[in-house]
Amino acid sequence: MRRDEIYVQLAQVYDPELDQPLTELGFIGGVSIEGSVVTVRFRLPTFWCAANFAFMMAADIRERVSELPWVERVDVQLQDHFFTEEINSGINGGLTFVETFPSLATDDLHELRETFRVKAFEARQERLLRSLLALGWRDEAILALRIGDLPGLPLDSHGAALAHRYGSILKERGLAGDVTAPAFVHPDGRPIDALEFRAYLARAQRTRLSVEFNASFCRGLLETRYGEGESHILGCSDESASVRHPIRRVLE
Amino acid sequence: MFKTSRGEEIFIIDGHMHLWDASPDNQANKYGAGFIGCFYDYHRNLSPADYVWEQPLFQKYGADRMVKDVFVQGYVDMGIFQPTYLKDFYKNGFNTTEQNSILKDRYPQRFVLNGSWDPRDGEAGLEYLESLVHRFGIRGVKLYTAEWKGNSRGWKLTDPWATRYLEKCRQLGIKNIHVHKGPTIWPLNKDAFDVADIDEAATAFTDLNFIIEHCGLPRLEDFCWIATQERNVYGGLAVVMPFIHSRPRYFAEVLANLLWWVGADKLLFASDYAIWHPRWIVEKFMAFELPDDVQKEFGVSLTLDVKRKILGENAARIYGIDIDVQKKELAKDAVAAMR
Repeated sequence: MRRDEIYVQLAQVYDPELDQPLTELGFIGGVSIEGSVVTVRFRLPTFWCAANFAFMMAADIRERVSELPWVERVDVQLQDHFFTEEINSGINGGLTFVETFPSLATDDLHELRETFRVKAFEARQERLLRSLLALGWRDEAILALRIGDLPGLPLDSHGAALAHRYGSILKERGLAGDVTAPAFVHPDGRPIDALEFRAYLARAQRTRLSVEFNASFCRGLLETRYGEGESHILGCSDESASVRHPIRRVLE
Repeated sequence: MFKTSRGEEIFIIDGHMHLWDASPDNQANKYGAGFIGCFYDYHRNLSPADYVWEQPLFQKYGADRMVKDVFVQGYVDMGIFQPTYLKDFYKNGFNTTEQNSILKDRYPQRFVLNGSWDPRDGEAGLEYLESLVHRFGIRGVKLYTAEWKGNSRGWKLTDPWATRYLEKCRQLGIKNIHVHKGPTIWPLNKDAFDVADIDEAATAFTDLNFIIEHCGLPRLEDFCWIATQERNVYGGLAVVMPFIHSRPRYFAEVLANLLWWVGADKLLFASDYAIWHPRWIVEKFMAFELPDDVQKEFGVSLTLDVKRKILGENAARIYGIDIDVQKKELAKDAVAAMR
């Protein structure tokens, strides 16, 4: 079904700050399909949510949905945001970030995106490290693990999901090519030294905590603003509201 | 004043409160509506159900209601007014020093009245800051780096004019610089909540105290790092506190981090009234204990002494308030008679 295909694509769009898919965060307000034209309504927890992240997510929505061969046009409709008009017209007009905000932006968003991918990397890694430590793994044994060991770690389903999430960000960063390479490395691929391991872990923990705290706050605010798991669609009446993709709670 | 079941008295200074007017009549545009709408969602999302207000009351609650909520019902002994001008969003401003001064005049012992400045106001703003000191005797300022002004969409503490204003604060005896990192829009390609500029300013002005409101959230990790490096950086617990109700586990983890990295002497309780009512926050905080595993992991504990510091003693120290003397003064004032 075409609608499901779209949601599969949307599930690959992540909030860069919260490192979770928009479909799980409840940020997708609805989807409507008319022939080969797809409209995705996209909403955020507050009127003031950072405009650069909003732009990134809107651009990613357009890119992912456009990958479907039958889609000819994607119309992204960010709702109830202080930069609604600017972002929607920029994204739907195919403009870059700098072209959309010539007087406000000095550069594109690559650096910002990278900053938050590093945070996501640390947070995913810390969750996995913490679950290994909770099982009684010793520091040296953890640091001796290789990339190739990750899929077969003796973990429960929650732990395995953490290992999978960590594995996928290793791959995304080009760090998973050599299965004999150390599994736990700095975000730039440098091995973690045993002497610095605990300090590294403490810092990664603060990053993880900050990300989770924000994710929790954002989810709560979104629910307050729009109601839990409900599609609130402005000015549109279509069948999309009947297909609910509820807000799921992961990682908590 | 909060009294424990064993009769110990806890003196409470609420480090962040407002007397705002966000009524539709005062809203200048959609941004004014959006600003208070966002606050209202914060309020509804994190308050216990009994404490949720109707929107019109939340937009404008007035001086009498505030006094009753904060001092009569809310256990608070003294409050620090932290103005937020927002003159581009509200015709008469959202929460100015002048608006707040109404209550300072009425109950002088109950309030610390802070001022505010904005580096984009240039020379005229320096004069205004001086006038705030002469008119109101301010000892602290609240800065909001995300405020819009004309075509500008925010500023940084490292801007050359911000440095001039910090120098002016030094000259005028303004010691306490409360910084609220809102979502700064300029430049839009950078992290809107970046706290790095605080680090530079705190290094350059070691004789001033920098109190970072809501502990740099949503960049708690960066804030902890800065606060560890700089002796004069404090954490204001506005926005952090209310998680004690809806997300006690997160609250415990965040507080344990703050106690470890920032320290029990450098955290200031705040309700952010009227976003949240101090009564339930104080009650829950006094009853709160860190879970065993969190205590063990961080090696910190939330003793009565630590609570006493956070709830009042730390703010008293940086504002030069002698709690014992102040208790005697407050016992005689008009608010004491209302209790």
